[in-house]
Amino acid sequence: MTSDGNAMPVAVITGAASGIGRACADLLGAAGWRTAGIDLNASDTDQSLEADVSERAAVARAVGEVVERFGQIDLLVTAAGYYEEGIDVVDITVAQWDRMLSVILGGTVNCCAAVLPVMLSRGEGTIIAISSELALAGSATDLHYVAAKGAVLGLVKSLAMEVAETSIRVNAVAPGPTDTPLLAADSLWRKPDYLATLPLGRLVRPDEIAHAVYYLATEGSMYCGEVLSPNAGAVI
Amino acid sequence: MALVTGAAQGLGRATAFRLAAAGFAVAVNDICDDGRLTEVASRIGGIAVPADISDPAAGPAMVEAVASELGPVYLLVANAAAMAMAPFLECEPRDWWRQIDVNLSGHFRIIQAVIPGMRAQGRGRIVIIASGWGVIGHQNATAYAASKSGLIALTKGLGRELGLQGILTNAIAPSFIDTEQLRVDADDAGITLDEMRQRYRQQIPIRRLASTADIAAAVAFLAGPGSGAMVGQILQPNGGVTRTRA
Repeated sequence: MTSDGNAMPVAVITGAASGIGRACADLLGAAGWRTAGIDLNASDTDQSLEADVSERAAVARAVGEVVERFGQIDLLVTAAGYYEEGIDVVDITVAQWDRMLSVILGGTVNCCAAVLPVMLSRGEGTIIAISSELALAGSATDLHYVAAKGAVLGLVKSLAMEVAETSIRVNAVAPGPTDTPLLAADSLWRKPDYLATLPLGRLVRPDEIAHAVYYLATEGSMYCGEVLSPNAGAVI
Repeated sequence: MALVTGAAQGLGRATAFRLAAAGFAVAVNDICDDGRLTEVASRIGGIAVPADISDPAAGPAMVEAVASELGPVYLLVANAAAMAMAPFLECEPRDWWRQIDVNLSGHFRIIQAVIPGMRAQGRGRIVIIASGWGVIGHQNATAYAASKSGLIALTKGLGRELGLQGILTNAIAPSFIDTEQLRVDADDAGITLDEMRQRYRQQIPIRRLASTADIAAAVAFLAGPGSGAMVGQILQPNGGVTRTRA
């Protein structure tokens, strides 16, 4: 219970089984939030729901289960995604493009579409989409990922304005290269030559992304369509 | 320990209280002490260090005095500001330079003065209070907007220059905050305070003015342990003002 006697808030986190999503679930859970994870795999959350975010009906079912159990949703964090790098633009297949767009952009849309009516019914809530610093700066050899993450920012800014006069806030967090399983051991972003170009000279930790999410969720009611980028200086 | 400039009232005052609640020893500065600065200092158990930061000698001397009493500055909140509204062609050079001297050059000198202590500690945080007008500009406020845009560029440069030394510089660009300044604005416009609030709300997509607590929370985030990967960033908790199109 909160100090004023209300039940603790409820967060739905996609991609909660690993990496940034998991770090968000861990931090929110440690702060007493009730957490529901939507992921292809089981997550260490209060309510673990296995679903593919690119499937709208599956997301709607999962969100319905959250509402059935907790009765409300205060926060949606869309962290589900995957990464592919080292592909020349002409070699990105149609299937690779379609899958990336459908998981990262489509997944964010599906989750917003399922959760927004729940928030609108109470007139309040927070949506935080995990984008990428690459969407701010552009990048070579991962164009489909960058395009999808950039599209998420357009969605966030527009949805934020659409619901601006309610107490629902929509914002994005755009992490820099973060030390998660998404970055392969031989990833360009782990190479010392690259890290040496960063003002902080290191990868971002998943918990640093979670803290930005937590700040926006708890004290970020004045942010509307903004992008917070804990990126170790990758984009300034 | 933290040093907050412009802390006798409004945002600086709220920030000093928030930081003290978070465990910081806080030194509060303002251009003079008419009793309000001492009141803030005594309520938070900190010290008052009045000084006109546009005076080239006063800012560095203040930093030295703070360090000798409370130790080297870990967190600088660069908040003090001068503002004078005027159409561009009517902007007096004296008013132009006053705003640049306080907002930009005054903080340049203070930042220069705090960096050696931060380097010696191997860590530090600099939080610069910029402005939404420094992001998108504003009519009749070219000097103020230029000074705040300068602070944004300073933030980015310092972020790059000092990051590897463990000193993280970020900025906050608020827009309309519910402070004592609104009373001044209302008097200037010849309307009531509530009418002034309503006029500003209409310019904010979320139709709500920021409270000083909202901005102090942003400072606390940038000063705290969870923001260690934030460097050279400009936070904009302004209700979407800088997202709107003219």
